Amino acid sequence: MKTNVIGVATTKFGELWDVSPRTLAKEAVALALIDSDIEMKHIQAVFVGNMLSGMLGGQEHLGAFFADEFGLSVPALKIEGACASGGLAMHTGVLAIESEQYDTVLVLGVEKMTDHSPEDVARALMGAGSEEERFSGATFPGLYAILAQAHSEKYGTTEEQMAMVAVKNHYHASLNPNAQFRSLLKLEQVMKSSKIADPLKLLDCSPITDGASAVILTTEVKSQMSKVKSIEVFASAVATDSLGLSKRKSLTELAATIEAGNSAYRKAGVGPKDIGVCEVHDCFTIAEILAMEDLGFYEKGQAAGAVVRGETTLGSQKKVVINPSGGLKGCGHPVGATGVKQIVEIVEQLRGTAGKRQVVDAKIGLAHNVGGSGATAVVHILGR
Amino acid sequence: MISPVKIWRNQKKISSLRGSEGVIVSWTMIRVPPSGFSSQAPYPVALVQLQKSRIVCQLVDWDTKDLHSGQKVTLVIRRVIESPDDGVIPYGVKAKPV
Repeated sequence: MKTNVIGVATTKFGELWDVSPRTLAKEAVALALIDSDIEMKHIQAVFVGNMLSGMLGGQEHLGAFFADEFGLSVPALKIEGACASGGLAMHTGVLAIESEQYDTVLVLGVEKMTDHSPEDVARALMGAGSEEERFSGATFPGLYAILAQAHSEKYGTTEEQMAMVAVKNHYHASLNPNAQFRSLLKLEQVMKSSKIADPLKLLDCSPITDGASAVILTTEVKSQMSKVKSIEVFASAVATDSLGLSKRKSLTELAATIEAGNSAYRKAGVGPKDIGVCEVHDCFTIAEILAMEDLGFYEKGQAAGAVVRGETTLGSQKKVVINPSGGLKGCGHPVGATGVKQIVEIVEQLRGTAGKRQVVDAKIGLAHNVGGSGATAVVHILGR
Repeated sequence: MISPVKIWRNQKKISSLRGSEGVIVSWTMIRVPPSGFSSQAPYPVALVQLQKSRIVCQLVDWDTKDLHSGQKVTLVIRRVIESPDDGVIPYGVKAKPV
């Protein structure tokens, strides 16, 4: 049974002081329903991707919470996998359709982060790491900085090359009306921004963000009956690795990304060369470089140079455009919503409705969502 | 996050690591710490290769010249995080350059 996406929507991402998580989710879902041309009563199950509602907001039981909010009494559950919660919720939605349990399901990603102090958010995010890492005083920027240092040492990747990822993603975000940052960034600004965890600086890091995204999935038969042009899910793959960095075989790659990528390529019957548009998990600039290599777009050590040459920037005729939404860096990173937002972006790109940030003639797209410092990786391949 | 029972359980592991020798594989300097660590910042955190395993831990008694891969270290016992309200002092291992 093939899975089709018939409706997508995302709210504005940013510091949304006047909006509650409830309102954010309602807005994303209402817009996705309008987009899909179906009604709420057709939703047979709800999968909510979220990481921090319990630790920060004191609210768990999100399945029932949102089902109630939408006036539904269908099966509903929260899926948690740190920053890969959204991708995992999408994976669960695909399984629900493929298993023929349900005909039409709703996948919602939602996170409200700015209601809380940065220290509390940093501590809550470290819930995604290992206890050993928490006792060392490491932070998530710190863990990715350790990966960045190792990558620099092995391949000569420079701080300027990493900074160019942020410059590119801000350019893409400037074309995205829902992005948190609509302003262009200069290389010097990134280089001069304050150090967070050497070699990573403030503008190498994705921000703290509020936002929600929703996707409606259905069977092939139902999608043919719909007036909406649907996009097919070719593959949905997940892989895991050690929770902490100390048990990793290599610090210059994320093995979970490689495994989930290979599994998705195999299921979809395509390779990296066939991908025209891609959303990767750039929680830090080094993470986009790692993803470009681990997903097979570039050889190890070659991705950073390609970013500087603009090969992955909108308008490039080379290889693949990466993070046209602005990525986590430019569009923002409401952790549980990110994985769903990536699917929304890929679907809009494949439909040809991405406006100013449209990748010309994109036929096959890939979304890559990571949890923790690489302990979970989710890869989706979609096509028309 | 920290409870007396958890600290008590960790004692065995900590004492087994004391005195272990290793080398720095990769490192970073934490300048924006999580809550409970602000009195120590900025501080380096390293991934250290021990004889049979690896560990992520903070460096202690370090000098700028020690911050590079290949630097030899030995694990020592130190207070790791500000004490929680119940007053138990959380000890753990840190890596001291040698």
